[in-house]
Amino acid sequence: MKCARAKPGLLSSYLIDIAGVSKQFQGKRTVTALDSVTLRIERGDMVSIVGPSGSGKSTLLNLIGGLDRPSSGEIRIDGQAIAALSDDDLTRLRRDKIGFIFQFFNLLPSLNCIENVSLPLHLKGWPRKKVRERARQLLEMVQLGHRVDHLPDELSGGERQRVAIARALVFDAPILLADEPTGNLDSATGAEILGLIHDLHRNLGATIVIVTHDADVARSCIRTIALRDAKVVSDERRL
Amino acid sequence: MILLRLISWPYARKHLLRSILTTAGIVLGVALFVGMHTANRSVLGAFNRTVDRIAGSTELQVSAGESGFDEEILERVQAQPEVRIAVPVIEAPVETGLKGQGNLLILAVDMTGDRGLRNYDFEGDDVIDDPLVFLAQPDSLIVSREFADRNGLRLQSKLSMSTMNGPRRFTIRGLMKTGGLASAFGGNLAIMDIYAAQQVFGRGRKFDRIDLAVKEGVTVEQCRAALEKLLGPGFEVGPPGSRGSQFESIVKVFSISSAMSSAFALFIGLFIIYNSFSIAVTERRKEIGILRALGATRGRIRNLFLSEGAAAGIFGSLAGLAAGVLIAKGLSRYVSGLLVDIYSVGERSDEITIDPGLLAWAFAIGVATSVLASFLPARSAARVDPVQALQKGRLQVLSAGENRIRRWLAVTLVAICAACLTLGGSRPVFYVGFFSVIVASLLFTPSLSLWMARALRPALQWMRPIEGALAADSLIQAPRRTSATVTALMMSLAMVIAFNGLAVASYDSIVEWLDSTFNPDLFVNTNRTLGARSFHFPAVIGEQLSAIDGIQTVQGVRTLRVTFRGTPILLVSADLRGIARHTVNPRAVAGDYREMHRLAGEGKGAVVAENLAMLHKLGLGSEVEIASPGGVLRLPVVGVLRDFSDQLGTIFIDTSVYLKYWNDDTVDIFRVYLKKSASAEIVKGRIQERFAGERRLFVLMNTEIKDYVIRLTDQWFAMTHVQTAVAVLVAILGIVNTLTVSIGDRRREIGVLRAVGALNAQVRHTIWMEALAVAFIGLVLGMLLGAVNLYYQLDIVQRDISGLVVAYRFPFMASLWLVPVMLASAFLAALWPGEAAVRSSLVEALEYE
Repeated sequence: MKCARAKPGLLSSYLIDIAGVSKQFQGKRTVTALDSVTLRIERGDMVSIVGPSGSGKSTLLNLIGGLDRPSSGEIRIDGQAIAALSDDDLTRLRRDKIGFIFQFFNLLPSLNCIENVSLPLHLKGWPRKKVRERARQLLEMVQLGHRVDHLPDELSGGERQRVAIARALVFDAPILLADEPTGNLDSATGAEILGLIHDLHRNLGATIVIVTHDADVARSCIRTIALRDAKVVSDERRL
Repeated sequence: MILLRLISWPYARKHLLRSILTTAGIVLGVALFVGMHTANRSVLGAFNRTVDRIAGSTELQVSAGESGFDEEILERVQAQPEVRIAVPVIEAPVETGLKGQGNLLILAVDMTGDRGLRNYDFEGDDVIDDPLVFLAQPDSLIVSREFADRNGLRLQSKLSMSTMNGPRRFTIRGLMKTGGLASAFGGNLAIMDIYAAQQVFGRGRKFDRIDLAVKEGVTVEQCRAALEKLLGPGFEVGPPGSRGSQFESIVKVFSISSAMSSAFALFIGLFIIYNSFSIAVTERRKEIGILRALGATRGRIRNLFLSEGAAAGIFGSLAGLAAGVLIAKGLSRYVSGLLVDIYSVGERSDEITIDPGLLAWAFAIGVATSVLASFLPARSAARVDPVQALQKGRLQVLSAGENRIRRWLAVTLVAICAACLTLGGSRPVFYVGFFSVIVASLLFTPSLSLWMARALRPALQWMRPIEGALAADSLIQAPRRTSATVTALMMSLAMVIAFNGLAVASYDSIVEWLDSTFNPDLFVNTNRTLGARSFHFPAVIGEQLSAIDGIQTVQGVRTLRVTFRGTPILLVSADLRGIARHTVNPRAVAGDYREMHRLAGEGKGAVVAENLAMLHKLGLGSEVEIASPGGVLRLPVVGVLRDFSDQLGTIFIDTSVYLKYWNDDTVDIFRVYLKKSASAEIVKGRIQERFAGERRLFVLMNTEIKDYVIRLTDQWFAMTHVQTAVAVLVAILGIVNTLTVSIGDRRREIGVLRAVGALNAQVRHTIWMEALAVAFIGLVLGMLLGAVNLYYQLDIVQRDISGLVVAYRFPFMASLWLVPVMLASAFLAALWPGEAAVRSSLVEALEYE
């Protein structure tokens, strides 16, 4: 089923609203990574973004996550246009509304599980005691309550990704962005992590956007957006 | 070579600022090395040039040290059949009183005969056609055209000078063409009649030296032997050039200090280069991985980085040579000023002497240091695993890792050092101990940095839970990365602390010495400073001073430089019993204070300074032997005192002995004690009034003399400020480099931090905290090593430099000052890396490798 596309520039109730967004990388030769992409993602949606290498999926995810800024077009997160935000305001938006799950986990190797999960809470200035309670609660939620003091090196790939998921959930962010969350895991562990992400979607009502190469992961999502040569070529919703 | 052009050159060009920073360490070291040595050589060169230009066709010079000798010696020399011509000379630098002109060298000669030895090259023939006209007018002066032009003087212009008979106006009656003799002493040369000079300088009927030429058919050596036989051991007979060697030994003490500073700067440069190359290797892992994958051998990669080290060394050394020459220009004036003030030997060194050998040596040292410093990073580069380097998501932290062997080696060296301290005694054992402790500290630094970073983590985490923890973790994860900068900081601070400790200990000892022996109420001197000895008082001034109302005691002191065992030391003659009576808290290093002064006062012995005793291994009963115009003076050592009058050593004899052997009753300084009721200010006024217009005389209050000595000490230790500046520079360079490597290593970590919500300020905080932690660790280790280094430096000064014994005192105040200075430097150094971390691409950081 094809999704309806909103007109650019309109204030909408969509959680993620992308209107005519392009991204060019300047070098000796300008490379267009995204070309006038417009799409909207509703609150509580679970979307997979697929496409061959170089199609622009990671760029799209980075723009949604506020890790990068578009060359043109507008992105609104929960109604807030991110173009006008300062670096720090963009960081605050990211911290409060977006959780990231990376292919390579991106845990800080020198911090143990609970410290890694606590990281965003400390950065927001939560009291220490409250930070520890919240981090422990999340680790228990991802079934790592027994591993709080372990360093990332002491964990399996699946466990590391669970810690990363726990970290992404610390502020009950309405948006979870996952870049190849199972790409660095064996199939059994990948399935386990995917299951966890589905649980979060179901139980917490989070809006989840997953970039993936894996057809099974893509199929498990309600909606799949396909990119090719920097453009959206299909946008399908499964019922 | 091809790799250097294809790989290294584009990288260096891309990171131009960093490439400049990399070479900065070598530039600094080479510049200081060249600057300081060139300045010293320039002063020495200028002295030799002056000697050479003044010598003319002089083949031999006869002198009796600074005391001079009676006129009748000239007749005896002239009568010697081997001598063709012999002329008397008085040579003395005097203050011109002209702004910016410094000293003027007065060369006083007998014009009737002197032109047989020297070519004066006068402008016109109006003056010296008849030398008797010149002689008949004792106010005549001939100056160089250069000096005249600089000061707007012409023939018949008047030039005021303070003479021993009060202020006098001299008339310029001749001008010498520029070049040759006229360019001696930087052109600040004036010719005066020798008999007028005797009056001007208070020399009585004495000459400073005789310049002579030998008869045809007689060799210089034959003439020398004949004169030595004629005059005895109290006279020195030698070619003009031999005066340079005496000057050289005076400059030597200063040269050692300069050499230590430049060696220190080069040593620090080594660490800066090491750090910079570590950055390059970290950043270029991927490039190295590709080269390795394409078939470059480990050896080729290592050689590539060593070649880069050599290239950095070549560029850095060349820039250092240029900077060094510029430094030398400024420094040579400072060195000549210091030599005038401390040793009373003056030289104008407006032109610097560039020694190609020194430049070549400095260049070689610079390049070798750079290659040596790049050795370990080159080895790391060769060890890059191409698989890991090219694999996405894998990070090979090259600067991580610790070595147990190094720790054991360090422990062994500490044990050797302890054994050397226990064994004590000989010089080799002492230096093995010193070397061991320095190398041990270098080897221990990575471990100590690691342990300290771990110890700091809770405190940093308490201050800022995430930023603090990450800052500490960054240090903990890569001890080698941190330790290069910590080592550089530690070494530079250890030197700063040792120099400051030496200064503090010296100040304390000097103040104690001043309080103990410099207690007269007033000092009456021929100069504004204690060092200058161009003018002398006739003895009668002492009696005239005693007659002034309010004065209780007057003690005349004569000081002159004499040669003792080949070294120009200071001889002080005074009423030793009188001095002993006025000494407060008398303390002797060896012998009884009162008894030694009694014996010396009776002419039965000499008292020597502790540094002389140390340097020449003298003890009670040792015999000191000094050649004088009246024969060889031999006296037993009856006492050893702690004395700071001269860095080369001092011998004290009684005035009666001096008079007997030197036949010289002139005085350099009168120590004046006042009656209890008298006011120093009022008596000072009376003295000035009594001798106004009649005598050249300066009355200095006790505090002025003490201030003068302290000021001299300040000048001597001015080098400590250079050391501190180098330490600050090292801190900034080292920390910038360390943080740049750190940011490179932690690119992803910082990216994650920003991705999960760290504000820019929070990212900056973690970088700043890391910098402050590095500085703090460097400070703690630097102070510890500084405390040890100070112990050894005090011993080195005592054993091998000046023999001065000063008590160990840790410079707490200087160390306290270093804390904010170094932390502020670290903070400054962290500003740019902090910004770099914040401005780096978040997307690239998260995808890093």
